[in-house]
Amino acid sequence: MSGSHRPTLLSNCTLATTAAEARFRVEYPNSRTRSSRIFALDQRAAEAMYAITEDPWQGAHFLTVLANDDIEPEATEASQLPLAHPDGTPADLAVEIEGADVVVLISSSGRNAGAAEVVAREAYHRSIMTAGLALSDLNAGEKAEAAVNAMRPFASVLVVARDEEFIPAMLNALRA
Amino acid sequence: MLRKEVNELLTQTDPGTPMGALFRQYWIPALLASELPEDDCAPVRVKLLGERLIAFRDSDGRYGLMDEFCAHRGVSLWFGRNEESGLRCPYHGWKYDVNGQCTEVPSEPDASGFCEKIKLRAYPLIKIGDVLWTHMGGKENRPPEPVWEFATVAPEQTFTSKRWQECNWLQAMEGGIDSSHVSFLHSGGLNTDPLFRGAKGNQYNLADKKPVFEVTETEGGLFIGARRNAEEGRHYWRITPWIMPSFTMVPPRGDHPQHGHFWVPIDDENCWAWSYDYHPTRALTGAERQAMRDGHGIHNEYVPGTFRPLQNKDNDYMMDREAQKRGDTFSGIKGIAMQDASLQESMGPICDRTKENLVSTDNGIIMARHRLRKAVTALRDKGTLPPGRNPEHQKVRSVAAVLEADKNYVEACRDALTAAPGKQRTSV
Ligand code: FES
Ligand SMILES: [Fe+2]
Repeated sequence: MSGSHRPTLLSNCTLATTAAEARFRVEYPNSRTRSSRIFALDQRAAEAMYAITEDPWQGAHFLTVLANDDIEPEATEASQLPLAHPDGTPADLAVEIEGADVVVLISSSGRNAGAAEVVAREAYHRSIMTAGLALSDLNAGEKAEAAVNAMRPFASVLVVARDEEFIPAMLNALRA
Repeated sequence: MLRKEVNELLTQTDPGTPMGALFRQYWIPALLASELPEDDCAPVRVKLLGERLIAFRDSDGRYGLMDEFCAHRGVSLWFGRNEESGLRCPYHGWKYDVNGQCTEVPSEPDASGFCEKIKLRAYPLIKIGDVLWTHMGGKENRPPEPVWEFATVAPEQTFTSKRWQECNWLQAMEGGIDSSHVSFLHSGGLNTDPLFRGAKGNQYNLADKKPVFEVTETEGGLFIGARRNAEEGRHYWRITPWIMPSFTMVPPRGDHPQHGHFWVPIDDENCWAWSYDYHPTRALTGAERQAMRDGHGIHNEYVPGTFRPLQNKDNDYMMDREAQKRGDTFSGIKGIAMQDASLQESMGPICDRTKENLVSTDNGIIMARHRLRKAVTALRDKGTLPPGRNPEHQKVRSVAAVLEADKNYVEACRDALTAAPGKQRTSV
C-alpha cells in the first residue's frame, strides 16, 4: 500500500443498502410476544428482580425460590418446589413454566443450587432454553464463582454481570 | 431489541454526540503508517467520527492530522504542497505546521503577526506498530499511549490491514462478539484457509455446533467464552476478549498467528474495519505474510489503489450460488472478511435494532451494548472517563484451551488472557 490511494468514499453504491432505501423496510411486526420466566435464586437476586417487576413487560413472570438449601432435586417434583410471586403468594412451578419460551435464573451466591436444578430440569423437558445470570461485583470473588458453578450444568448461556441494571437491559433486549 | 433512542445514542458519533464524545476519549487507529511512507509525501484525506481531516508527514518526519480545509477560503489541503516543514495551500500560499498552526500568510507583512491568529483544529498522530493513532478529544484527558500487543511486538511478528466497510460501526463490531455465527457463516473456511487449517481445535469446532456461551464482565470490557465438548468429558474453550469501545481478538488456532479487529467510525454510515494478525512469540513466516497480503484469513482483496474491498455491494460481493449450493461457502461469498462485511452491510447503513429478535446466545452483544450505554451516559452526565483507556485493560490476549469440565474458564486462563512481552500463548 502506498500513499496514493484514490478517494474511495466518493464511489457509487448500489441502491439496495442506502439510507434512502432503508426507509422502505416493511413496518409489519416480525415476531409474536415471547414469554419469559425469571427465577431469583437468593435474596439479593430477588431484590434486584423486584426493582423491575413493575416495568411494562410483555409476558414475563417473576418468581422467587424460597430459601431452602436442602432441596434434593431428584426427590422434588415441580409442584413441590417452594416458589413465590412478587407479592409473596405461593406459586406452582408446573403451572408457571407452561408456555414459557425462555427461563432466566438469577443468582448472586450459589445458594439453592438444588432448586435451580429442578427449574432447569423442568425447562429442559419442555425444550425451553435456560439462561443463567450471576450477579457479581468487584469484591464478589467466591460468591460469584459459586453462583456460576451452581447454574453452569443447566444453563445453555451464562452471564456474569457486575451490575443489576443488566437484568432489565437483558430482558428488554430479549423482548421479555 | 433496542429502543430507537438507544440505537441512536450508540450509533451516532459525530462531534457533539454522546457516543462521539466517548470515542474521543481513546487513541484510535487513524491510518496505516504505510499511507504516509516518507517525509514530505502526499497528504492523505481522512474522515473520522464525522470530521474531515488531512494527514501529512512533514520534512522532519513529524506526523500531523488536522482540519482538511484551509482557513482562508476553504480549499481542501489535499491539493497542498507538503514542503519545508509544513503543508502549503496551493490557492494563496497559506502554510500550516503539523499542529495546524498557520506559519505563513504571504499576502500579509511578516511582522504583522497575522498568521499567529490562524490555527486549524489538529489532533496528535503517533506511530505505534504499523498504525498511526490519534486522540480526537481534549488534551486534558489524553489517555496514556496505546499498548495493544499487536502494535507493540517486533515488526516481523505483526501485520495490519484495513478496509472500508459501508455501514455503521456498531453492527460491524457486533459481528466480532457474535461468536455463534462462526459455526455457520464461516464453516467453510476452517479446513481450507491457509491461516486457519490444520489446527486441532478446528475438529472440536466442527464436531460441536451448539457451543455453550459464558459472558463475563471485566473492568475493560468482556470475555466471551464459547465451550464445546472435547475428549473425556473435558471442554474446548474459545475465549474472545472485547475491550471498550471497539477492540476484539479472535481466539488462536494451533500455531497460526492470532488476529482481531478495531472498528472505527468514519461517519454514521461508514466505518474502518481494521484487521491485525500477529504472533506473540515468533516472526510471521513469508508464506503467512503473503497469505495476509493476498486477502486470506480476516484480510481481503482490494479494488486496486483503494481500501475498498474487491468484493463489494456494487458487484454483489461476487456471490457464487454454485459454491453456496456445494457447501464450499455457507453464504456463497468468498473469504471470512467479506462474508462478515457483506451481511453487515446488508442490514442497511444503520441497523434498525427495533426490529431484531435477540435470543439468549446473543448475550455477548447485549452485554457489550449495555456497557457502552453505561459508559456513554456516565461520561455525558458525570464526566466519568470510560474503561479501556487504561493500558492494563489493553494487555489482553484471546485464548483457545482444553480444560477440565469443572474449571471456570476465566479463573483457569487468567494468566493466559493477559498479554506480556515474550510470554508463550495458550492455543489449541
Ligand atoms: S440468522 Fe441471524 S441474522 Fe439471520
Ligand atoms: Fe465473522
